[in-house]
Amino acid sequence: MSAPELVTVTIDERSVQVPKGTGIVETAAAAGIEIPVFCYEPRLGAAVGACRMCLVEVEGMPPKPQAGCTLFAQDGMVVKTARTSEMARVAQNATLEFILVNHPLDCPVCDKGGECPLQDLTFRYGPGNTRMTFDKRTFEKPIPISPAISIDRERCILCYRCTRFSESVSEDNQLVAVNRGAQTMIATFEDEPYTGAFTGNVTELCPVGALLPTQPRFEIRPWEFQAVPSVCGLCPVGCNIDVDQREGKIKRILSRNHPEVDEGWLCDKGRFGFSHLYAEDRITDPLRRVRSRGLEEISWEDALDDAERLLREANGRIAVALSGSETTEDAYALAKLVRKGLGAHTAMLPEEIGGGLDAFRAPLSAIRDAELIVVLGEDPVVERAPIVDLWLRKARRAGAEIVEIGPAGDVQIAPGTTARACRKLKSGELGDRLRASERAILIWSGGGAGGGSHLAALATDLGFADKPGCGAFFLPETANGRGVAEAWAAASDDEGPEPEPLGLLIVSGDEAAANPNVRALAEQAERVLAITMFHSLAVGWADLVLPGTSYLEREGTYVNVEGRIQRLRRTAIPPAPDELAWIAQLASRFEVELSPSPSLVFAELSERVFGGVTYEDLGEEARLPDRVPLEAAPAESADEPVPAKAPGGTLQLLRYRPLFSGAAVERVPELQFQRPAPEIELSVKDAKRLGVRRGEPVSVRSNGTSVQLRAAINKRLKAGVARIADDHARDLHPTVEVSK
Amino acid sequence: MADVIVLANADERDLRQLAEYRAVGGYTQLERVRSLEPAAIIDELNTANLRGRGGAFFPSGRKMQFIPPKEQIPKPHYVCVNADESEPGTFKDREIMNRVPHRLIEGSLIAAHAIDSQHVFIYIRGEYLDAFETLRTALDDARGAGLFNGVTVVLHRGAGAYICGEESGLLESLEGKRGQARSRPPFPAASGLYASPTLINNVETIATIPKILELGGAEYAKIGAPPDSTGTRLFCLSGNVVKGGNYELPMGITIREVIYDLGGGIPDGRALKAVIPGGSSMPILTADQIDVPLEHDALRALDTFLGAAAVIVVDDRACMVQLGLRVAQFYMHESCGKCTPCREGTRWMVQLLEAIEAGDATHSQLDLLLDVCDRILGKCLCPLGDAAAMPVASYVVKFRDEFRAHVDQGGCPFGGESSLEGLFAPVDQHTHHPVAEVPA
Amino acid sequence: MLRIFRGAGLSHRFARETGGLVVSPQPVDTLKGFGVTFKQIFKKPLTMQYPEHKRPVYPRFRGRHRLWRHENGLEKCVGCSLCAAACPADCIRVVAAENTAENRVSPGERYARIYEINMSRCIFCGYCELACPFDAITLGNEYELAEYDRDDQIYTKDMLLAEPIKKVPVADAELYDTPIPYYRAHS
Repeated sequence: MSAPELVTVTIDERSVQVPKGTGIVETAAAAGIEIPVFCYEPRLGAAVGACRMCLVEVEGMPPKPQAGCTLFAQDGMVVKTARTSEMARVAQNATLEFILVNHPLDCPVCDKGGECPLQDLTFRYGPGNTRMTFDKRTFEKPIPISPAISIDRERCILCYRCTRFSESVSEDNQLVAVNRGAQTMIATFEDEPYTGAFTGNVTELCPVGALLPTQPRFEIRPWEFQAVPSVCGLCPVGCNIDVDQREGKIKRILSRNHPEVDEGWLCDKGRFGFSHLYAEDRITDPLRRVRSRGLEEISWEDALDDAERLLREANGRIAVALSGSETTEDAYALAKLVRKGLGAHTAMLPEEIGGGLDAFRAPLSAIRDAELIVVLGEDPVVERAPIVDLWLRKARRAGAEIVEIGPAGDVQIAPGTTARACRKLKSGELGDRLRASERAILIWSGGGAGGGSHLAALATDLGFADKPGCGAFFLPETANGRGVAEAWAAASDDEGPEPEPLGLLIVSGDEAAANPNVRALAEQAERVLAITMFHSLAVGWADLVLPGTSYLEREGTYVNVEGRIQRLRRTAIPPAPDELAWIAQLASRFEVELSPSPSLVFAELSERVFGGVTYEDLGEEARLPDRVPLEAAPAESADEPVPAKAPGGTLQLLRYRPLFSGAAVERVPELQFQRPAPEIELSVKDAKRLGVRRGEPVSVRSNGTSVQLRAAINKRLKAGVARIADDHARDLHPTVEVSK
Repeated sequence: MADVIVLANADERDLRQLAEYRAVGGYTQLERVRSLEPAAIIDELNTANLRGRGGAFFPSGRKMQFIPPKEQIPKPHYVCVNADESEPGTFKDREIMNRVPHRLIEGSLIAAHAIDSQHVFIYIRGEYLDAFETLRTALDDARGAGLFNGVTVVLHRGAGAYICGEESGLLESLEGKRGQARSRPPFPAASGLYASPTLINNVETIATIPKILELGGAEYAKIGAPPDSTGTRLFCLSGNVVKGGNYELPMGITIREVIYDLGGGIPDGRALKAVIPGGSSMPILTADQIDVPLEHDALRALDTFLGAAAVIVVDDRACMVQLGLRVAQFYMHESCGKCTPCREGTRWMVQLLEAIEAGDATHSQLDLLLDVCDRILGKCLCPLGDAAAMPVASYVVKFRDEFRAHVDQGGCPFGGESSLEGLFAPVDQHTHHPVAEVPA
Repeated sequence: MLRIFRGAGLSHRFARETGGLVVSPQPVDTLKGFGVTFKQIFKKPLTMQYPEHKRPVYPRFRGRHRLWRHENGLEKCVGCSLCAAACPADCIRVVAAENTAENRVSPGERYARIYEINMSRCIFCGYCELACPFDAITLGNEYELAEYDRDDQIYTKDMLLAEPIKKVPVADAELYDTPIPYYRAHS
C-alpha cells in the first residue's frame, strides 16, 4: 500500500499535516484544537451536518460559517475555529443558544448530567444566560421505547445519531424521526418496542439525556461511577467494556472501543446482562445436600472439608465438566488440581476447538476490509457472535460480496452438510475467486466445525496463510471455550483411563450445569460437585454446591474468537470468594502448588501455551498474537453424521441457540422482551404446502411431544427445514410434523 | 407580444393537445437536437445566459456542464424537474404545467439529451392535482407518439412538504426517504439521486429551453435586461392588486409598471405600502422603492432578490407584524427539523412575533428578534432558514416604527382592522393534513 | 493578671540586685496578688455555664444541616448528588430513585431515596448549600451534635427533614445586618 498523500492545513494559525481527505474535525484534533460536535460520529457513516455545532470559517469559501464536519482536508486550506474567528464563535454560540431554547435544562434530574456533551460544550462555547422567555416545547416523557431504553423527547436535540445508527449500522431502520420542524421527534414505527441485538448503543451515542437505559435510572450520577476496563464474557467476541460500579455494585456497562474487535459497539446482552449478578436465586454460600431438607448452607471451612472428602473418596475416578465461561486461569487451576493432585484426566469440554485456524488469524476488523466473504454454517451469525454481524454489515455497505452457505442462505444446503459444502469450496467458481482474492474472509457459524479443522483445511488449500488480508474465523459457542481447552491441556502431559464407574463429577459453571449431556453423565456419577451461580441450577443433583462467580467478578483472561488473549478485571465484589481462591486452598491439601493470584497462575500457564506473555503485555487493549504457521496440513476431523432426511410430510428441525438465552439472560428483566418469540421458521414452499400464513398458530409434533408456535416465513430457508430457537424447541426430535 | 416565450401561443391555442403543440413547432427542437452533440445544446444555453428560474439564478448551462461524463462516473445520470412549487406567492409552474405541458416535457427531454441521461423525474407538488392530471395526459400522449426515444419519464407526486422543493430535500423524497435537506458537498451534479449525477431544474427553466433553441441563444439573450437577466419571467402578481395573475414579461420591467400598468393598481383606492418582489422568502421593498427594474442586479443593490418572481403587493391595511408572523409561521411549519438554527429559530421567531402582535413584548425583544434572524441567516444546512429569517428581518428594519407602536400601545395599532386578505393563505390552511386525494 | 506578672518580674530584679542572693519576695506583693484574686469573687463571671446557658450564634453561623420541603409537602431535594459532589469531606451519600404516581416524594422525576450526612466528617463549609440547585439543603445554626455512638452521627433524610430537636438561640439578624437568605424569602 502506498502512503497516502499528505496535505498541509492551517487551523487557527497552526499548521498541521494530515493525509488528504481527513475530516476537518480530525485535522483540527491533530493540531490540538477542538471543533465541537454533536451529530458528527464517523462510525455512523457520512457526516450530515445537522447540528451546526461545528461551524468554522474557511478562507476562500463563501463568507458564511461552514460545517466543519462535512469538510475534508485539502492542501493549503485555512480554517479558523471559534478560537480565532468571531464569525465561528458567534455561529457556535448561536447554535447552542438555539439548542437550549427548547432544552428543558433539567440537568439535576437527568442521568446524563455530568457526562453530557451538551453541558460540556455549553460551558465552553455557549451563552451564559438565556434570552428565551416563552414556553418551551413540551412532550410527554419519559416514554419507554423498549423495556431497556426510555426516551425523553424534550431533552432530544435531534442530532439524528440514533436514527443513523438504526439506519446505517444495525440496519434495522426501527428508530425514525416523525413529524417535522420543531415538533420533530424520535420514535419507533407505530410505537413498537425497539428490539434487536444492538439497541443499547443508542444510549451511548446520544449526546444528551434523551435516550437513557432504564437499568441504572436515577441510581447514580456519572461522577460517582468507578469505571473498570474489562472484557465482556458472554460471547466469543470479547468486546472491550468499561464496567461502571458504585459501592461495589455494577450499575452499567459501556463499550470501550477496541478498533480491531468491536469498534465501540456492544450488544444488548453484554450491555444489560449484568443484573443477573443480583438475581434473587444467586448462591452466596456453599451448600450441602441433606437428604431430608434438600440443600443447607454450610461454612466455607466445612465446604472445603467436604470437597476434600469427595475428591479423596472418588479415588481418581473423577470427571470435570467445563462450561467455557471459566477464565483461563480458573480452568488451569481446576485442571492442575484434578490432574496433578488426583490423577484424573477426564474432562468434558464445552466444545471442540482446535488451534488450526491460528495460521489464518486476522483481526475481526479484517471483515470490514474484505471484498469477498463466505459465511458457512447453520446458525445466524448474530446469535453466536453479534458484533461479527455488524462487521459483516459494514463490509456489505462498503461493497463486499457476502455469500452465505447454510440451510438459510444464498447457497442452500441440508442441515449437517456444512463440512461437505466447505470441502466443495476448494474447487468451483467461488473457490477460485476466494483463491484469487487478496481480501477474502471465511466464517463458520454453527456446529459440526470439527473445532475449525474443516475451515483450516479449506483456508490452507486456498492459500490464505500467505495473504495477510485473508482470514478464517470459527465462531465458538462459548466465550472462552478455546482458553479453557488450552488450559486443560496445559495442566498435565499425562493421560489416564476413563473413570469407570464415575466416582465424582465436578460441574464447573452454569452452562455445564444446564447442559443435558452433563446432566446425563451426572446420573452415572456417584457424587456431584457443582460450581454454579444460581440455586435452580444446583437443586436436586449436586451433593456439594460451591458458589460460582461471573466474568464480571473475576480477574483472569479470556481467549476470543480471533485467538486474542484479553484481560478480565474484578469489576464487582462477588458475594463469595472466587473460584481461584478456594481451588488454591484445596490444591494445597493435595500437595499441588497453586497460587491464588491470577497473574501468577497466568504466568505459569503462559510459559506453556501463550509464549510467556504477561498481564502487562496484554494491557487494556490487547494485541492480536501473530499467526502461527501450520507445521503440517491440518488433520480434518471426521464429519458429524448427517441427520437422516425427514420422511415425506415431515420437516427437519434446525435448532439454534438464541443470543438472548441462557442462565444470565433469564435473570435480567429488561432483556425478556428480546428473547425469541415462540416462532417456527418455515420455508416459503413448506408454508404454501401446509397452507400456513405468517403469524398463524401451528402445532409442531414429534414423537409424542407437541409445541404450539407461531409460523414465520423465512424466504431464505431451504425447503424441508424448520428452524426453531432452543428455548421453544425443547424436547422436539430432529424430525417434526407441522400442522395448523 | 413578441416577448412571450414560455407561454408562446398558449393564448391562441390549446397547447395541452399534442397536435396543437406540434402545429406551433413543438417537439421540432427535440428532434433537431437529438442529432446534435450535447455540448452544442449547453453552448446555446450559455449564449442565452439562461439562469435558474427557481430562485437561485444559477446559470443553467453551467449546471449541465458540472455533470461529469459517463466515463468518469459510470452510473446512470438523472434529470429531475422541480415542480414542487410551494413558496407562498408563486403559481407560475402550475400555469406552465396546465397550459404548456408539452413544452416542459420537450425541455426535459432536451435536458436529458444534453447530459446523456435516460431518466427524467418530474417531482410535482402533491396539491397540484389539476396540473398533475394535465401533465400525466400530456406524458401519455408524448409517450404514445414515440417521442421519448428510450427515455423514461416518471411523474412523482409530493406529499405536501415545502422542503421537498429544495433540491436535496426533493432527492431524498424521491428516494423514498424523509424529506430533509442534504449536506453539500457532494453536490447533486456529482452525487444526487441514488448517489448518481443529477441535474435538477425548475419547471420554468426547463420549459424555456425549447424556445431558446428555436430562437437561438444570441437572439434570446437580447430579450430582457442583459447581460445577466436575459429573457422573460412569469411574474406571479398577487396580493392587494386589482388584476393579479401570471404575466410573462421581459426582465427589467419596473415594479411600478407591473402593479399599475398591468395589474391595475391597488384596489379600493388604498395606498401602496410595500412590495415583496420574489416570493415570501425575499426581503421586502417599501413603496418608494418600486421604480426598481425587476432584474437581478438592480434588486441585489436593494438587498433583495428576484427569487421566483412572485410580486406580492401589500397595501396600507396590512399590519407588518401580522405579515411577519404569518410568514414565520409558514416557515416554522415547513422547517424539516434537521438543522438546529432553522428548527429552533423559526419557532422562537414565531413566539417573539406573537408576543409583539399581542403587545406583550418589550423594545429589547425587537432587537432580539433581529438577532435571532441574524443567528439563523447563513448558518443553516439549506436555504429554508434564510428564507424565514431574511423577510422577517427586513420587515423589522424597514417598518421598525410599526413594530415599536405594537410595543408602545401594548397591542396591534390596526386593532381588528388589519387585513392580510389576498396576501397569504391563512395559517390554518397550511396546517391541514397534506395528503391530497389520489384519483382512482 | 498583668500586675501579677509584673510583680514576678520585680521579684526577679530584686533577686538580681541583691547580688544573686535569693530571698523570698516581699509579703506585701504576695498579699496584693491575693487581693486581685479576692476581688474577682465579687465580680460577675464571664464564663457561661453550658449547657444551662447557650450563647446565641450569629444568624449565618453554619451548623447542622436541614433539608426543606415545598409548601405542598413535597421534598425540594431531587437527589441530584451535586451536594455530594461539592462536599470536600465526602460526607454526603445520596441514592436517588424515580417518583411514581403512587409514591411522589419530590416534584420532578427523581427524588433522594437515601440522603445521609456523616456529621462526624462534616467540616461545615457550606459547599453543599452553595451547590444545591433547588435550595433544598441549608446549614442551620445548631451545633450540638455530640453523640455517644459514631453510627448516630450519620443523619438520615428523615432526621434532616425534621425540625432539629436541640434548638440553639440565634442572635437577632438585625443586629448583624444579615440579608434574608433567598430560601427564606422565596419558599
